[in-house]
Amino acid sequence: MSQPPPQPPPISILPLATFSPDLYTRAWQSTPHPYLPLIATTHDKTVTVFSLSTFTKHSSLTGGHSRSIRSCAWQPFSSPSSSQTLRLVTGSFDSTAGIWTYNPTTALEKAISSNPTHTEPQEQEEEEEEEEWEFTLVLEGHENEVKSLSFSPSGQFLATCSRDKSIWIWEHLGGEGEEEDWETVAVLSEHDGDVKTVAFAPVFEQGKKRDGRGYGVDCLVSGSYDDTVRVWREDGDGEWGCVSVLTGHEGTVWGVEWERQERQGGRYQRLMTAGAEGRVLVWELKEEEEGDDGDEEGGGNRWGGIPNTMRRSLREEWEVKGELPRVHTREIYSVAWSGETGLVATVGGDGMVVVYQEDLGTGEWRVLGRVEGAHGPYEVNHVVWCRRFDKGGREGEEMLVTTGDDGVVRAWEVRLGE
Amino acid sequence: MREVDNANPAILNVSQLPSRSRKVTTPRHGPDSKCDKIVYSKRPWLCGSSSSEDEDLEEDYGEDPVDAQDIYDLISPISDPEHPHTLGQLSVVQLPDIHLSPSPAERRGNALVTVTVDLTPTVEHCSLATVIGLAVRYRLEQTLPPNYRFDVRMKDGSHAQDDQVNKQLGDKERVAAALENDTLKGMLDKMLETCV
Repeated sequence: MSQPPPQPPPISILPLATFSPDLYTRAWQSTPHPYLPLIATTHDKTVTVFSLSTFTKHSSLTGGHSRSIRSCAWQPFSSPSSSQTLRLVTGSFDSTAGIWTYNPTTALEKAISSNPTHTEPQEQEEEEEEEEWEFTLVLEGHENEVKSLSFSPSGQFLATCSRDKSIWIWEHLGGEGEEEDWETVAVLSEHDGDVKTVAFAPVFEQGKKRDGRGYGVDCLVSGSYDDTVRVWREDGDGEWGCVSVLTGHEGTVWGVEWERQERQGGRYQRLMTAGAEGRVLVWELKEEEEGDDGDEEGGGNRWGGIPNTMRRSLREEWEVKGELPRVHTREIYSVAWSGETGLVATVGGDGMVVVYQEDLGTGEWRVLGRVEGAHGPYEVNHVVWCRRFDKGGREGEEMLVTTGDDGVVRAWEVRLGE
Repeated sequence: MREVDNANPAILNVSQLPSRSRKVTTPRHGPDSKCDKIVYSKRPWLCGSSSSEDEDLEEDYGEDPVDAQDIYDLISPISDPEHPHTLGQLSVVQLPDIHLSPSPAERRGNALVTVTVDLTPTVEHCSLATVIGLAVRYRLEQTLPPNYRFDVRMKDGSHAQDDQVNKQLGDKERVAAALENDTLKGMLDKMLETCV
C-alpha cells in the first residue's frame, strides 16, 4: 500500500509593504545588502537605497552615469562584523560600471552643519544629502550597455557583462578613495549575443573541495541573448575559462540563480535558469562517482607534479534535472531561490509572481501560490528573497521583494501552512 | 546620404486606406479617430503604487474596447524613414496583420491584452526594418495603457533577417537602451511627427 502523496501546504502571498516613495519611472532591480537592512533599487540614472526596517528611503546615488542604471551589486564585507567601507557598484547603459562608497561620517557632519542654527539655503541641503554617496571610480572597458554585475562571495572579484557579448572580471586590490585599486583580470568573450546576467556561486565547504581538481573556489554563471548559459571558473593560476555550455532554452536567458542552501553529501549547488520562452530549468553538476576521486583523498592537488600545460582541460558537465511548472504566459525576467526555505519565486512580463516548492521525495517542483497583477497592469522586472528587518518579522524570516515597470518596489509576506 | 532601399514602392492613396465605417451622427472634431481619447487623454498613464489599482482601464476608452482598427489608426500614420509616405500608404502596416488577444468581445477588466502586429517591409532586405519596428512599438507603448503587451514582428518571409529583427524588437532591455540613443530617438520622433 502506497500512501497518497502529501498535499502541499497552502500558501498565502500577502502584500506586506510598498517602499516609499514611489519612483515614478521603470525600476529594474532591487538588491538587498548581504547583511545590513538596506536594499538598492535601480531606476533611470539613479539608485535609491531603501531601509528594510522602515520601508522608506535611506539615501540615493545620482549624477554618476549619463544613461540608465540597469543593475547594482553590494560588495560583501569579509565578515558581517568587520567595519569596512559600504560599497555599491552600478552597471549602466552608458557602458561603464561605477563604484560608489558611502561615507556615514560625512553624512553626519553634513547633517550637523545644516542644523537649524545655520541658515543654509534649501538647495544646498539637498545637494549635500546626495553627497552621502561618493562616486569614487568608473570601470571602463565595455563597448556597450552594461547589463548586470555580481561580486564573488569574498568580495574580491567583480564580474560585469554587456551587450558587447563579453564578461569582464575585475579584482579589487584594496585601497580607499583616491587609492582605490581595481584591475581587470579577465575578458571572457565566448557568448554569441548580449550577456544579460552574471552571478557568482555561493561558496560552501564542498565548493572549496573543488580546489583539489585544480579550480579556484569561485564559479561564475552567465545567461545570454544567444539562448545559452555558460559556467566559468578560474583554473588556480589566475586564468578564467568557460568550463561548460548549457543549452536547452529557446529564448534569451534573463535570469540565473544559484541554490543558496548547502546540499547534503557535499554535492555542488544546483542552478536555475529562466528563459524568455517561459521555462525555468534546474541544472545539476554531473559529479564523478564516489571512489573515483581517490586522488583527492589526500587533499592535495590532483594534478600535482604535472606541468600546467599537461593538465586535462577544465571541462564539466551540467545536466537538466528538473523544470518548474510552466505558469507564466510571457517572458520570465527573474528567478529567486531562498537560502532559508528553499522556495523559489519567479516574475515576468505577465505581471505575475509565482512561488514553487520542491518535493524532496520525488524531486518534482510544484506551484505553491501565485499573485496575478502583482504590480497592477505592469510588468515585473525582478524578484528577490530578502531577510526581514521590520518590526513584524520573526527572527530569520524572509520576504519577497518585487520591482516593476510602475516604479514601485513591493514587499510580500509568504506564509506557509495556513 | 544613404542609398534608398526601394526607390519605387507601391503607394496607396489615403482614401484607399482602411477606416472604420461608422454610424456617427455627432459632428467630428479634429482627427477622425476614436483614439483621440487615448492620444489626448486628460489623464496620462501614471505609474506608481496608488494609481489604477482598482480602476477598470478599459472604461476610460468609452464603451468600445480597443480593436485592430484603433491600433491601425495609431500606427499607420507613422512616416517611413526613407520615403515621404506613411507606413499605411506603403502597406508596411496592414489591417489584417493586426491581432488582439483576447479579442475585444472576450475582454474583461484589466486583463492583459496582447497586440500582435506583423509588418511587411517594402523590400526583402530593408535595412531599416528594425527602426520601423521600433517606431511602431514605441508609438503603441506611448499611447496604450499599461495592461497592453506588444509583439511587433516582421511578417513571415517578408524579411531576410526576420528572427534577428523580431528578437530585438521583443527585448525590452534593448528597446529601452535604444530609446536612450539620441540619434535613434531623434529619428523615431521625426517618424512620429505625422501621427496625431
